[in-house]
Amino acid sequence: MEKLLNKNSFDSLITGFKKQGYKTIAPKKDYKLVTLEEIQDANEISIDHVITNNSIKEFFFPKTEKILSYTIDKNKVEMEEPEGFAIKSVIFGSRPCDAFSLPVMDKVFNWDCSDKFWVERREAITIVTVACDKSDSYCFCTSVGLAPDAKQGSDVLLTKISNDEYLVETVTEKGENLVKELESVFSDPPSGTPDRQVATVEKKFEIDKVKPWLDDNFQHNVWDEFSYKCIGCGACTFVCPTCHCFDIVDECTMTKGDRVKNWDGCQFTMFTMHTSGHNPRSTQGMRWRQRIMHKFKYYVEKFDSTLCVGCGRCSRVCPADMNISEMLEIIATEENQPVSKE
Amino acid sequence: MIEELRKKAEELLRSDTVKVVFGYGEGSTPERTRPVFITKPEDVNKLTWNKYCVYNLTTYLKRQETRKLGKPAIIVKGCDAKTIIVLLKECQIKREDVYVLGVTCDGVGEPLATKCKACDVNTPRIYDDLVGEKIENKEIPFDERYAELDEYEKLSEKEKWDFWQKQFAKCIKCYACSSICPLCFCDRCIVDKNQPQWIDPSAHPRGNLSWNVTRAYHLAGRCINCEECQRVCPVDIPLNLLNKKLAKETEKNFKYRSGYNIDDELAMSTYKEEDNQDFFK
Repeated sequence: MEKLLNKNSFDSLITGFKKQGYKTIAPKKDYKLVTLEEIQDANEISIDHVITNNSIKEFFFPKTEKILSYTIDKNKVEMEEPEGFAIKSVIFGSRPCDAFSLPVMDKVFNWDCSDKFWVERREAITIVTVACDKSDSYCFCTSVGLAPDAKQGSDVLLTKISNDEYLVETVTEKGENLVKELESVFSDPPSGTPDRQVATVEKKFEIDKVKPWLDDNFQHNVWDEFSYKCIGCGACTFVCPTCHCFDIVDECTMTKGDRVKNWDGCQFTMFTMHTSGHNPRSTQGMRWRQRIMHKFKYYVEKFDSTLCVGCGRCSRVCPADMNISEMLEIIATEENQPVSKE
Repeated sequence: MIEELRKKAEELLRSDTVKVVFGYGEGSTPERTRPVFITKPEDVNKLTWNKYCVYNLTTYLKRQETRKLGKPAIIVKGCDAKTIIVLLKECQIKREDVYVLGVTCDGVGEPLATKCKACDVNTPRIYDDLVGEKIENKEIPFDERYAELDEYEKLSEKEKWDFWQKQFAKCIKCYACSSICPLCFCDRCIVDKNQPQWIDPSAHPRGNLSWNVTRAYHLAGRCINCEECQRVCPVDIPLNLLNKKLAKETEKNFKYRSGYNIDDELAMSTYKEEDNQDFFK
């Protein structure tokens, strides 16, 4: 289904979401950052940014969440599972790269067991994406098989066609239902071919050349050389829409506690530290290799999908200017292809 | 100045005075630089110097990967040189194990970094060799040096609490603030200890408050206000406000400025009879 949405109708759209019982999450400008967060009013929406600082993942897989509460007394242990975590919402104004991260992550969260926290939120949340009308030098979606107006993962895609107008395309049944629920907000699509204002994102490397190189080069000097500057924080993994490692801890007293699931990241020294004190990934080079290998080799082998959507957030926030697309360019460079060092 | 820096680096590497030079190189964008580690004299052209050289490279003195490269020459601005002084005083490095290549600096960042606004160390106060024309270090009055706190200090206790609650709520516990800090050098940070669990690892209000306050307190009287923690925070928490406030209290109470004079006794580990003790109640 195709429709037209005028910028002036954002107000009725957000009011409409509210009336239909949706919580609205949208990009909001807050001092220096633009973040996806809950909004109450259409005025809060930012539309002139390249990409939000936080990724979409925290609305499905929050930075911290209680997965179980328990009480222990002399004779019994009682457990209680949380409820009401999946809240009917619309994420309005996410980017195509973020939206695509969802079907990519569905694969792992539905793999050998189904993660109900992820799955129930996926059902409860509708994704209305706005195609990118600008990009920056960190964007590389086109290098990982996406595009600034890609539809995968979105329920509805909006594409700017003039200063005030967006072409509305429904992608899924869920999206179609949402548009139908708010029919009066939209108007009929323009006749003829609209002038889609979509950003250009330069292709930086051939993704097909990455995995064959990784297959051959578990041992390579580049891992250490590239990562001397890495300081071993977890910023890249936490802002990444597809990094999904977590840690489970109990926050408890002697008689009661919560079991909590927290984001964790492979760039931390402690991530692989054994109780014995041995650390199989003892250097930052090994940890950096793990990040690349997981995204462009292991995940591809296991789920037939690259674990990177080219949003570039990791490179934007990196305190030491580690640039992931630069690493992939090195890997995919023609003269590096046949090299296989032991 | 870039040429002079490269020439000096080349000499140091050729003469085997050092094995590696920690310096600044071109970054991902023209508005960014990145740390580079030059081990071969023929690579010195990778070194650069411009107003985007904001990093405090002394953090690489604590990292095992860069320590393994051998004796370093490290390019330091006046502010970064203060870290060298603290690291020496806290016995983290030996003077002979580091070649301090000072650069004179009249401010970095675009817009100008907060740390540069009341700078009185344009010329480093410790170095083995200096690159750039010497700038006479100004004397800046106490109030002016802590001017960035003026607005904050006007807040009531409740307003301050609300402010930090809101700021810490953003924290994602990526620990970039401590990873980048050259003075956060514990092999095992308190957050990594779980028997007992001193600090909740979760990024919820209690966990975030205990982490951020503990981090700031461990730097009280030690932080030299390079502002790296604030620069790297991916969620933009103004961490330097906390650090600066603690530095101000330290200076006010103990007449001590971290990293300023190599002969000063460390505020936190030196007992003096004349120390202000009014706050013991």
